[in-house]
Amino acid sequence: MADSPSKETRRTRRAVPGILLVVSLMCLIISTRSLAGVPERVGITVFGFFEKGFAAVGSFVSDTLASIAELRRLRADYQELAGKLERYTNIERGLADLQAENRRLKEQLGFSDQLSYERISARIVAKDPASLYPTILINKGIEDGIRKDMPVVAFQDGIEGLVGRILEVGHGTSIVIPIYDGSSFVAARLDKARHEGLVGGSGSTDEPLVMRFVKKSAKDEVQYGDLVVTSGFESIYPPDIAIGRVQKIRDLEYQTSIEMDLDPILDFSRLEYVFVIRSVPNARTEEASQ
Amino acid sequence: MIRSIILSTLLLIGCSFAQSAWLGGIAVLGVVPDLSLVALIWISYMNGPVSGPASGFLAGLVEDFTSAAPLGFHAFVKTAVATAASLLHGSFFIDRFLLPIVLGTLGTIAKALAAGFLSLFFGSAVHSYSFLDRIIWLEAAYNGLVAPLVFFLLAPLKRALAPERGRS
Repeated sequence: MADSPSKETRRTRRAVPGILLVVSLMCLIISTRSLAGVPERVGITVFGFFEKGFAAVGSFVSDTLASIAELRRLRADYQELAGKLERYTNIERGLADLQAENRRLKEQLGFSDQLSYERISARIVAKDPASLYPTILINKGIEDGIRKDMPVVAFQDGIEGLVGRILEVGHGTSIVIPIYDGSSFVAARLDKARHEGLVGGSGSTDEPLVMRFVKKSAKDEVQYGDLVVTSGFESIYPPDIAIGRVQKIRDLEYQTSIEMDLDPILDFSRLEYVFVIRSVPNARTEEASQ
Repeated sequence: MIRSIILSTLLLIGCSFAQSAWLGGIAVLGVVPDLSLVALIWISYMNGPVSGPASGFLAGLVEDFTSAAPLGFHAFVKTAVATAASLLHGSFFIDRFLLPIVLGTLGTIAKALAAGFLSLFFGSAVHSYSFLDRIIWLEAAYNGLVAPLVFFLLAPLKRALAPERGRS
């Protein structure tokens, strides 16, 4: 490159950012319409592979360091667990008897077995770098049976909570859009009072979820701390998955319904593993057939 | 120049993947520093109007692929921020702390303005920051704080990433 570029070269150089901005806008125009999806899928397959690699390097280093300390603890735990195992073996024998009895009693009472969903476990490999689009990247994709719009749940402190849904699927990775994203909506109901509403995100893990369109009459029945679960109506989410607990109730006079702030049941910053629900048994069909 | 664009793009993509895979542990109220943005500001400031915006555009496209954002969103935002930073090319001497902090902070605000500009045209199809929300200010402060460290770490790569500057 010459030391003193000509006027034409300088002009061409200055035009480059403008051209790139125009190209970006054209991409946006195309992708916000129906053509969206195809380039994203190809992209996530290619770049998801590298992102998985980064996550793998990170976990290898942290796991190696952690395992040194873990080895010491394991020796002590082993002794303790050997003793526990003996006790639990005895308990298990009693438990099998109790389970058989419980099943018989349920049959007599006419209760159906708890619905169970086929789940695919996945590890979170990355969270979206920009806080504007809070997405989660998991290490399972098309080859593992993941499809677009499948619901994603996680277990934390023994509770099953709703994480979100699959937004895009690559070959070996998928993007999950969490329920706290601003564009995410979930058909929900209050677990105790059974009133229905629509839960939406606020765009951040630190902001509460908001449940809207709940009938005004529900105000007297709702209490702080009440559990909100998925309703399953006209929704991709199966029913009765915990979403959050009522934190605040807003009853604005000019609105025909009340709004509630929900404290999410899951701490999204601590999530490491999730489960993608592959098939949801149709509860209503089963009930009807009974 | 092509070489510096390719190297800069790879560096930005690396930063982007690293922050999404590793930096969750240092998140403050859900916000992690945008290493890729800070590195982009440095590259653009050092190179002028071609390499910075071109690398920002390419790295932004990759971010679009790995996020829920519509294709072109990050590409536009990063190109716009890089263009703004490249306009300052050679205007100031970059010291150890003050200018990196200012550039990191202002770059984040420029990013929010670019996203806001897009939301004017694309409405709810794209997300934008709310200037009344703490997230943008938290991210701006966080990026400002990490900028001196990022600029310091990038300085030895000046010859590879900013060859024009390196020759002068």
